[in-house]
Amino acid sequence: MTSDVQDIEPIEIPGNWQFRYNYFAGASASRFFAELRENRRVMGTRCPKCERILVPARSFCDACFVRTTDWVPVADEGVLETFTIITAAFPGLPEPPVVLAYVTLDGADTALVNVVTGVDCSDIDAAAARLNRQPRVKLAFKDDIQGRITDFTFVVDE
Amino acid sequence: MSARLAIIGVGQTPYKRAHRDKSSSDLLWEAAREALDDAGLDITDVDVVIQGVAPDALSGENAVEKSAITGVGIPHMRVNTGGVTGSSAAFAGASYVASGRARAALVVAVERMGQSVTSQAAFNTIFDPILEKDFPLTTITMAALRASMSMRLYGYTPYHWAKIAQRNYRNALKNPLAHLHKEYTIEEIMNSPLLAWPIHKFEACPMSEGACAVVIANEDLAAARNPAWIQGIASTTDSYAMGDRFRREGATLVDLVTLRMSAERAYLDAGVTDPLHEIDVIELYSPFSSAEAMTYPALGLCEASEGPAFVDRQGEDPEMPFFNPSGGPQAGNPVSATALVRIAETALQVRGVAGERQRPDVRRALATGQGGATQFSTVCVLGTQRP
Repeated sequence: MTSDVQDIEPIEIPGNWQFRYNYFAGASASRFFAELRENRRVMGTRCPKCERILVPARSFCDACFVRTTDWVPVADEGVLETFTIITAAFPGLPEPPVVLAYVTLDGADTALVNVVTGVDCSDIDAAAARLNRQPRVKLAFKDDIQGRITDFTFVVDE
Repeated sequence: MSARLAIIGVGQTPYKRAHRDKSSSDLLWEAAREALDDAGLDITDVDVVIQGVAPDALSGENAVEKSAITGVGIPHMRVNTGGVTGSSAAFAGASYVASGRARAALVVAVERMGQSVTSQAAFNTIFDPILEKDFPLTTITMAALRASMSMRLYGYTPYHWAKIAQRNYRNALKNPLAHLHKEYTIEEIMNSPLLAWPIHKFEACPMSEGACAVVIANEDLAAARNPAWIQGIASTTDSYAMGDRFRREGATLVDLVTLRMSAERAYLDAGVTDPLHEIDVIELYSPFSSAEAMTYPALGLCEASEGPAFVDRQGEDPEMPFFNPSGGPQAGNPVSATALVRIAETALQVRGVAGERQRPDVRRALATGQGGATQFSTVCVLGTQRP
């Protein structure tokens, strides 16, 4: 730094980004959400090449780079693949504790991310030990269904 | 990569929570000027400028790189691959020089996230707005989801991660550019506040600002200077969706398959067949100590199942490479620049100009970069020997 600006108090100018958007889900996610809303079921799409059932449903398989073909429903229960229990508060994010997990529903080859509700987090280590055993989980739909990924949560099925 | 090229200049600002006395362009310019001076070149001597800046929301400035280093009359481009941005920019610069399109490339990356008041909320915006952004997915929770899986599969305990973190903090004491200069005991790390199970605060990286630059040059320019020869450099990518990476054998979320692929390609070019014994220094892009543990098998240093034992042997086995002499990302994580800092630090080690943090007799060093939802990885092998 040159000497002529050495004793200047640095200025901070407050700022705020506040833009509004409408995110376009596209046809496949729109149908996926419509199935959630109308039929309370989770749909996947099949890759004709690797034959995986991809959940959430999507229009193409990015591994094989081909268009997916048929739509297939998967089960409303499955296996918890991995999880975290968020215990610290961060500005702009939900109040802790929050359990976040990836779950592979029966019949699917890929996992969905969502929150796990109803976990007793009074003892974090005990809750973590229980979740680390990869429990079975089920979907729990909310009363107010809007056709969004937040229409359901996972609950431990024990 | 068959052409011979080298890093001949390095410039870095210090890394700290906030550079309140510097504008974004000041940061970029200072790192770039230092790298050019180190290389004995001027801006008119480079044929391309490649800048690395990760998501704009972190700084609250669109295209923060726009205001500095125009390099009038030459190509300029920006790279954004999340955490791997800096080393992706280096890969682009190296490719430019290797192709013969440039004799020298200036690669510079800047992080300005000290301006952010709600950084984890800004990080949440990098996730898919249709299927993911409604959930508290952040860089921390993304790492925690992998860490818990790694504990279950391989038997890591909080002790292993605390041991890695302790070494990183200790190494940073010798690096005047590091953001954090504080030593912690293993107990202090294990007892630090839990952020997202199983990750504790002192197993995570800080929020840092700063800029880093390197000059990559062809053989003609490099031979007359003090070069760190690029013996191998590779960059690979994977599916974005983390949910797609659980049921792939040998390529799950914790296998870091792209880091493995990048390492294999870079080793092939560098002639490395036994990385554990043929590499002296390794700078890892691992903002979390649990993430560092996942890199060892991907880099071919141990089997995945032996990971915890590999950590136990660290510090006792003199045959092992020396990890993170700079302190690594846990002692300073200027996100957009962090992966380039790894390359810059290994270049300093190979050139023998790393100051107090210099390791003895460094003949070959390795730098990693990882970013996005770990779908992007780079590996760069630098050495004293011309390839």
